[in-house]
Amino acid sequence: MSDVIKVEGLVKRYKELIALDHLDLKVKQGEIYGLLGPNGSGKTTAINCILSLLEYDKGSITIFGKDMTPKSYDIKKDIGIVPQDLALYDSLTVYENIDFFCGLYIKDPAKRKEYVKEAIDFVSIGDFAKFKPKKLSGGLKRRLNIACGIAHKPKLIFFDEPTVAVDPQSRNKILEGIVELRNSGATIVYTSHYMEEVEQICDYVVVLDKGHKIAEGTIDELKNMIKKSEIITIEAAGVDEDTITYIREMKNIYNVEYEKDLLKVEAGSGKHNVIDIINILQDRGYKMKKIFSEQPTLNDVFLELTGKNLRDE
Amino acid sequence: MFKYFLKKRLREKQFVFWSMIFPLALMTFMHIAFGNIYDIENHIDPMKTCVVTEDTGVFVYNFQSLMDEMSDENGDNYYFDLDYAASVEPAKKSLEDGEYEILFEVKADDIKVFLAPGHSATSAYMAKAVCDSYMRNYDLIMEAYEKDPGSAQAVLDNTLEEVSYTKPAQSAFSEDPDPYSWFFYSTLVMGIFFNSMSGVAIVSELCADVSADAMRLSVSSAKKSRMIISSFLSKFSISFVIVLIQLLFMRYVMDISLGNSIPKLLLFVASSILFSLGFGVICGTIFKGSTDNRGNKTTSVVMISVFLSGEMIQQLPGVFEKYAPFINDINPATVMNMAFYKLAICGDYTGFYMDIAKILVTTLIFIAIGVFVLRREKYASL
Repeated sequence: MSDVIKVEGLVKRYKELIALDHLDLKVKQGEIYGLLGPNGSGKTTAINCILSLLEYDKGSITIFGKDMTPKSYDIKKDIGIVPQDLALYDSLTVYENIDFFCGLYIKDPAKRKEYVKEAIDFVSIGDFAKFKPKKLSGGLKRRLNIACGIAHKPKLIFFDEPTVAVDPQSRNKILEGIVELRNSGATIVYTSHYMEEVEQICDYVVVLDKGHKIAEGTIDELKNMIKKSEIITIEAAGVDEDTITYIREMKNIYNVEYEKDLLKVEAGSGKHNVIDIINILQDRGYKMKKIFSEQPTLNDVFLELTGKNLRDE
Repeated sequence: MFKYFLKKRLREKQFVFWSMIFPLALMTFMHIAFGNIYDIENHIDPMKTCVVTEDTGVFVYNFQSLMDEMSDENGDNYYFDLDYAASVEPAKKSLEDGEYEILFEVKADDIKVFLAPGHSATSAYMAKAVCDSYMRNYDLIMEAYEKDPGSAQAVLDNTLEEVSYTKPAQSAFSEDPDPYSWFFYSTLVMGIFFNSMSGVAIVSELCADVSADAMRLSVSSAKKSRMIISSFLSKFSISFVIVLIQLLFMRYVMDISLGNSIPKLLLFVASSILFSLGFGVICGTIFKGSTDNRGNKTTSVVMISVFLSGEMIQQLPGVFEKYAPFINDINPATVMNMAFYKLAICGDYTGFYMDIAKILVTTLIFIAIGVFVLRREKYASL
């Protein structure tokens, strides 16, 4: 697969603050490329530099193999953007908003009409076509925001935190839509600080923190970067300190916590971690109620790499 | 693009209110409250007046002529119901009894005025106006009689005109301009100047560092120059139509003079709107923060400018002209007001063109800066 976006050594400073520090990115055609990081990590700045909206201090950016500049209209015609803030006109109806933004790219009225209809259907807001944005719920506004960005059928689409302040139903609808766009051939750059979303839809993820790329890879590759591969939680009453110490000293175990009858064990890769711990507890006469094992999340990856949670920022 | 810029602006209630409805409402209110002021002034009931002429001479004779003019039932200046008396004491008695409202005691070269107890403000004003005007013009009348007796009547007519306070002031910078017309012109200019908000809207529509919509436009493959022209033309067209509606309203509903030259009037409207849009673009660029924030700050500047131009206190520009004329020179609302006043009332076309030139030069500077700002395609921060 060819590189749709290639960013090399991108540096962006705001006076003393380094917003992007020698950032390298390669986005391949047909993938959902996730930029994950806490607020202020440089995700939006990176997108704005790539789109040639922001001046940057150093580095090079190519899109579709060509240098990206503010006057690269031939590149821009194949780009769609769904910005973090709603980019809608309150005085125009849903239909008119989509038609206006689509009209910036598509001149032929008949073709545009067809594209606008498809975009409305795609985000399922047909019942609200004559409504003004003010009358729409937060979720519907977000969907309209998406429709305005994709109506002209771009080959490359930037989604900058498209699910902020959206109800779960609309969020799922949006995420499904993004996957559908990828499946129909578009390349997606997706930024979020919601790790669950990134895990759910992204094919490749770059983790940013304070303008630095701290990790990248597929979801599995990222999870394999960290020591713990399993979190085991067992509900058992009255587990004594001796047992906890015994488990803590077992091979493959990184951390053990016991609080309110819940024993939480972080383990490395190993086939029998759960069975081994259950056997110990049974041998010592503890009755167990609930047992479950979880895979590490991207938050665990972020936590291990930076020492802080994604949402703490 | 033009179509949607047009639709968008027309549907913005705040814009329609401030630039169209508010000025029309103010004009209507003014018209209802003071529209018949001239009729009232022109239908003053003749005041019972006595002129006592114990002396004789040209001074007395001319005053009698003036008073005769102003007590002619068929004349335009019928203000006095006049009696003559030979001695002052009986006349004073009649004044105290309420038989007369005003008593003029005319000496060889002086006039004394007596008013009835409980006299009205109108009678006091008229008595003083007649006296002052006659005393001021007496030398002229005398000179006219000596050089060209035929022209004396013209001087006398001038005295009559001075007495009448319904005649509009000829200089807009007078401390007492025609307040009625001035209010309407000032209100129209205020409406035009509120188009600065459209200038702010152009900035927020097209500058990616101001709004998310503008960011989306900046990323699109549509050229910035096309967007600027569409946005500017849409705002200009709407404003032009709105001002024309206001002018028609002023002319045919309010019966306000708009001068005799439609091309000059259109030149005034077009240049004032262009100026306001340019002014708005500059304000939208200088002021920081959200679009609303920039708009509010611009409105404040416009309101201050309109206030200083005499929208509420008509004498202000006259006072500035006397003590700090530069304020009038740099205040956009005053310059626009002056241009309109000179066109519609004074017929001072040289002054009008000077003001228009001032407006257009400033507009060119504003638009040049505006285009430079709006065409920017990369930003230091967003």
